[in-house]
Order: sequence, then structure tokens, then C-alpha cells
Amino acid sequence: MKVLEASGIRKCFGGVVALANGNISCQAGRITGLLGANGSGKSTLSKIIAGVYRADAGEIRFLDRLVQFRNPNEARRNGIAMVFQNLSLVPDLRVWQNIVLGAEAGRGPFLDDRQARRVSQEIVDQLLPGLDIQRLACELNPGEMQIVEIAKAISANPKLLILDEPTAALEKAEVKSLFRCMRMLAERGVAINFTSHRLWEVLEICDEVTIFRNGENVGNIDFAVDGRDPEKIVSYITGVSQKAPVARVSRPPSDEVALKVEDLCYRDALKNVSFELRKGEILGIGGLAGQGQHELLLALAGCYPGVDCLAEADGKRVRLTRPANAIRNSILLVPGDRELEGLFMKHSVFNNMIFPKLGLAHQPFFTPRRKYRAECEAAIKLLSIKAHSLDMPVRALSGGNQQKIVVGRWLSFDAKVLLLADPAKGVDVGAKRDLYRYIADQVREKRVSVILYASDIEELVECCDRILVMYEGQVIATLEGADLNEETIISTSMKVG
Amino acid sequence: MGTLRKYLAKPEFSILLILAAMLVLAAVLQRNFFEAKALNRTLNAFTPLILLAMGQSVVIISGGLDLSAGTALSLLTCVLTSVMHKADPVSGGYAIAAAFAVAIFIGVVNGIGMGYLRIPSVIATFATSFIWLGAALFLRPTPGGESVAWFKLFYDVKVYANAPPALKTFGSAVPSALALVLLGCLFWFVLSRTRTGRYIYAVGSNNTSAYESGINTGLIQLKACVVNSMFIFLAALYFVGQNQSGDARMGDPLTLRAIAAAVVGGIALSGGRGSVYFALIGALILSLVNKIIFFANIPYAYQTLVSGVIVILAIASSQGYTLYSRKSMTRRGRLV
Repeated sequence: MKVLEASGIRKCFGGVVALANGNISCQAGRITGLLGANGSGKSTLSKIIAGVYRADAGEIRFLDRLVQFRNPNEARRNGIAMVFQNLSLVPDLRVWQNIVLGAEAGRGPFLDDRQARRVSQEIVDQLLPGLDIQRLACELNPGEMQIVEIAKAISANPKLLILDEPTAALEKAEVKSLFRCMRMLAERGVAINFTSHRLWEVLEICDEVTIFRNGENVGNIDFAVDGRDPEKIVSYITGVSQKAPVARVSRPPSDEVALKVEDLCYRDALKNVSFELRKGEILGIGGLAGQGQHELLLALAGCYPGVDCLAEADGKRVRLTRPANAIRNSILLVPGDRELEGLFMKHSVFNNMIFPKLGLAHQPFFTPRRKYRAECEAAIKLLSIKAHSLDMPVRALSGGNQQKIVVGRWLSFDAKVLLLADPAKGVDVGAKRDLYRYIADQVREKRVSVILYASDIEELVECCDRILVMYEGQVIATLEGADLNEETIISTSMKVG
Repeated sequence: MGTLRKYLAKPEFSILLILAAMLVLAAVLQRNFFEAKALNRTLNAFTPLILLAMGQSVVIISGGLDLSAGTALSLLTCVLTSVMHKADPVSGGYAIAAAFAVAIFIGVVNGIGMGYLRIPSVIATFATSFIWLGAALFLRPTPGGESVAWFKLFYDVKVYANAPPALKTFGSAVPSALALVLLGCLFWFVLSRTRTGRYIYAVGSNNTSAYESGINTGLIQLKACVVNSMFIFLAALYFVGQNQSGDARMGDPLTLRAIAAAVVGGIALSGGRGSVYFALIGALILSLVNKIIFFANIPYAYQTLVSGVIVILAIASSQGYTLYSRKSMTRRGRLV
């Protein structure tokens, strides 16, 4: 049974066409994948269906009725629930309060909390058994938050569930349990609309996939009929038929040490981490999520004043107690969460790009705007960032382009060590390739050293010369050469064998 | 043991600890502190601040800040005393009705500014505070006005000679000031068990998330402002009962004290966090500070200075305590 049929959907944002001609149909009990590069319009289409935006043209038929929802709540009441890309839990409410938020059961004017807790417990038990529903939302880790978010969407008993990149923050095990749950819902007759940038996920869970490019759907593959062919999907996404391996660095790293760290400790998060990073090397940090990888990068960037270690950059001692120290020693951080740590979302591209410069020790009294603008324009060209002006606010850019700006602002610096915290998170295949290609160029030409943490193990394997595997704040293994493959990383990070 | 430790780690505990310390200190300095009469007098002096702090905390939890609370209180006292005629006992009823309507109006106007026009609450209420002040000065350029005799009931039942006997016995058991504060507590107790109560926290904690969950965030902010003005209304009844007059300038100094009291009580200025009942405790602490300084015979010139220092110490120690106990619990692996 067809649950949703959207045709000819068009949406412009201030003259920019985000979606030119979107068409999609969802069947009860089937999981439809939505694929496409960042800014290809798939998110826009999802949001129009869920009532966040209104379409400029086109029609949406939901359960054989022509609909046009004014807000997400109206859509939810009618049976369309959407899980948003940005987490939308209320931090100071408990898990169960969040799950029923906006749809509380009541006895007269009063809340029926016992009922609410029971319902929430039931849903959470299906999704993530063992999660305490009394915890505050702000105490959860990103994976748990995402699960709660989905629990909230499910609690409304939707006919159509729209999941917009629900797996971006999840570990593989959590993704698996999410998939189990999605399948269960599909068997109950719920139509599911699933967006992800990870191809394997779409291949594994979806029954069919609709592919978007430049605001139009360019292809529809029914896996039962056409088979699960990743090559074909990639060719639809990029528009060119090509495999997308990341350019590997051809030159081997030199023997010179760029950064040497001994016995780095920070509270409970990092315990006696020691390593040497050679010039021109890409050192990966792997392991399960939340084992101290993020903390390690932040510590190296000088973000923790209480950090205790012996560090040498180029044979010179460095105190890693202030970000400014790290920057002056050309240890530069590209933070993972661009919305929280990386960018001033409301400010212009230009301000964001020159900002780190303003903190340098020797700055002219007046900022040389013209010179900096020229540098920024060069960086934008080099990274092929799609921004029509240097003065547009960063939040108006798509996620991939935002991430490029976080990287690009270090361009004019003489980076010796680049710390990358999950740079390709929420970035599409094309932009990811651009990013890694740029980083590989820097490594090859300027002999920059890179420490890379990526939640996607595939990325680590493709890029790194060496991988440190972390477990509970310690480095438990260093993998290189033949050991650089997914199986070994996974088995060592789970302490198997 | 584990649960006890969990309770000890809560910031609320440290606030209670500070309150206990203050009470001990006050009792040491003022020998008859715990005698019923003195206690009643103490409570009488604290009541307006307690009510204002509780109302203010509702607005702060909803993500706003009300800088107009003090002048709104002044305006309500002026409205009450302008409508009333000493000779006509019935006019007291009219006055209450009129002041109640004005209180609702004040809340709605502030709420529209914050919730619907999306003016930052500090600016919106800063602006309205002048409107309330202007209106109050229009009604009562100098302190004064008339009040019916039975309004004294709101201050102290014993002062009003013609009170019915049943009310008198009740009044001697539960002083009016305490009754008003309990009324405020009951009001919030009921409200916190409704959707509105839950949503006030949700909106203050994260407005966008709350909106995306289908909550009418503007309406909730408006409701929070109206709840606040109900507390201000109670404070106005008390003030007129006490002084039998209205004063356009009496409320303003209370605004920031009420905000400070809420903060001492553990209400986060960022919104969404804290308990309205603890704003009451914050107000008690703040008031006790003044009392202690008074009884400690500190020269008048230093009183304000010392009270400021104590407030800062109270806030810092409560936060430091929370951090410390959280850390020690994390070390033991009980709290992650």
C-alpha cells in the first residue's frame, strides 16, 4: 500500500533553488533510502513532507489524501514523525519526559506520569535495553540521545517515519540495534524513510533507494529487482561512473619526529598515552566510540589546562596547557562538532576564516582586510567551497561546505601537525573525497603530519599510515602495515584476541 | 548508602546546608530568634521577597528574566489603594478584582513581549518596568492612599479587631504571611503537575527542541509571566495589608534582590533548571544575611558590602560543593 506519494516538489530559499523537482513514494512496511550529496535536496524534501517547510510547488499525497502540513506537530498528529538531523532533546528533562514531550498522557488537567514512564520504558526496552529512563537527557552520550530521539518519534505511532541521518552519531553496535528496530517497525506496516551518507547502511537496511542530485531525484533502485550494487549507486550520486577511493599518500613518512608525546594523562579520560608522530605521517586513532579519542585530540590542542604530559614538537618542549601554545607551535585542531566547537554559525564566512589568526601573537594593530580577503578567496577556490560570497553567514552553507571552512581557515597557517576530529562526519561522499584529497596533498607537499580520528573505520584504513587503537583512555595497540584492515581494528578495539 | 550519597551530591543539599548555617548563626546572634513572636516578625519581613523570588524563578526557568517585577508590585499597591475607600468595606473587594485584572494584564504584556514579539526578556521587561512605574506614579505621585481596615488580614489577623473568631484561631496558628507563602507553594505544586508546568521547564531548557516537539513556546512563556504576576499580586496584597497605603517607589529595589534570591536558591539563569521551592529558600538565605548583619552590630556603612560578599560566598560554595561531590562520586564510579 502506498503511504506517501510526493511529486514535483519545488522549494527555493531566497532565490537559491534547494529542490527543483522532488518525487518520492513510500510503501507501508518498506524502508526507502534517500541518498545524495550534501545540498542535493534530500533533506529539504524530508522536511517538506514532515511539515517543517512549505513547498513552493508540487503535491503531497498521504494515505490518498492531499496534504500540506503547517508544522511538524500537525504532521505528527496525522501520522508522519520525523527524527531530525540535529538532536532536538530538551537537555534538562529526563529521558521519559523527553519521549512523551508534547504528547503527554493526562488525567484531566494533570499529567499521568506513571503511564508516561510505562510507555517510555516499553519503547526504550525495544531499542536500547538497559538505558535508564530516569536519566537527564544532557547526561546521555550522542548515541543514546539519538536512540531516545527515535523512541520519541516512535511513541506517536507514526504511519510514516522519516529518519534524517540518524546513524551519524552512532557506533556500529548501536546502528545494528537501530536497524533491528527499524525492521520490526517495518514488519508492523510502518513506512520508513531513511537518509544516510554511509553506503553500507543503506545497502544493508533499505528495500529500495531513491537518489538525489542537484535538487532532483535521478534514480530509483529497487534492491529486490536490480540487486545491491554500490557502484551503480555511487555513479548516480556523483553523476560520474567512478570508484571513490581516497588518494593515498605515495611518499612514505620520513624518520624525523614532528611531535613526541610521553605519558599524557588527563583526569580519568586519558591514561599514559605515549606516541611519536613522524613528519609526513597520517596517524589514525581508532577504537570504539568514546574511549578517549576525542579527549586526546583536544588535549593535544591545549584545550585542557589540567593535562599532564611531556610533549616535544620538532625537538622543542611544548606546554599543552593553552590552545594558543599549540597554535604557536603549529599544532592545529579541526574540531569534530562544527556547530558547537568549530564555527560561529551566525557570522560570515570571512570572519570565521580569519578568526584563528586574530589570536596570534604578532598581529598588526589594524586587521589587513584586503590581504586576508584575498587569502580566503584563494582557500575557497582551492577547497571548492560553494559559497556565493565571503560575507554570507556560515549557517547558510550546507554541512559539507561548513566542514571545509573549518579546515580551510588553517590554510594560511604553516601547519606542522593537523589534528582532525572526525572531519567527514555528516559530509557527503564527494565532499569527503575533496577533503581527504586536500589533506593528502598537504601531507605530500608540505610534509604536514596528521592525527586523524574518524568514527568510520573505513576512512581510517584508507588514509592512515599507522593506527593507534584506544580503549578506556589507553593506547592498547599500534597497527601498521598488513594489520591495517577493518577486521583487525575492530577485533583489537573490542579486545578480542 | 548509595542513594544517600546521591542526595548529598545534589546542589539542593548544599543550599539547605547554607540555610541551616544561617539559621544557627541568626539564633546565636538573636537570642529569642526561635520564639514564636520573633519568628513571626522575621517571616513578616521576608514575605514580599519570598513571593517575588518564587514568581521570578518561574520566569527564569522558562528562559526569561523579569526586570519589571518590582515596579509591577508598586503599581499593584497603587491600584489597590486608589480603588479602596476607607469608609466602604466592600470597596476592598473591588480593589482586589481590579488589581487581579491589572496583574493579569502585566503578565500578558510581558509575556507577549518575550514569547511572541521575541524581544529579549531583559530588554522587554526593562522597558515595561518604566511603564508600570509611570502608571504607578500617575495613580499615586506620593506614597499614601486609602485602605479598608480588613485588608490588615493579609498582614496579621491579630491586628484586625473585627475578625471573625474562626479566622482568629486560624490566624494565630498560621500567620498571614505564612499563609500567603503556602498559597504560593500550593499554586506551583498544582501547576507543576500539569502540562504547563512541564513545558515551562522544556521551553527554558531548549526553546527550539520544545517547539519542534509541538509545544506552543510563546504561549508557555506568556503563561510563565502570568504565573509570576500572580505571585507579585500576592505580594501586593501583603504590602497593602502591612502599610495600609500604596507607594510607587517601594518595589523597584526588590527586583534584583528577587533575582539574586532565585540564583542563591539554585535556579540557573540559563533556564530550565532549578526548583521554585528552592527560590523560597534562596530568599530566606538572602533575608537572613541582612538580619545577621544587623544583629552582628556591623557598622551601617559596611552592611551592604558585607551582604554582597556573603551572597557571592553562598553561590560559590554551593557550586563548589556540587563540583567537589560530583568529582568524588565519579572517582568512585557511581556517577558517570
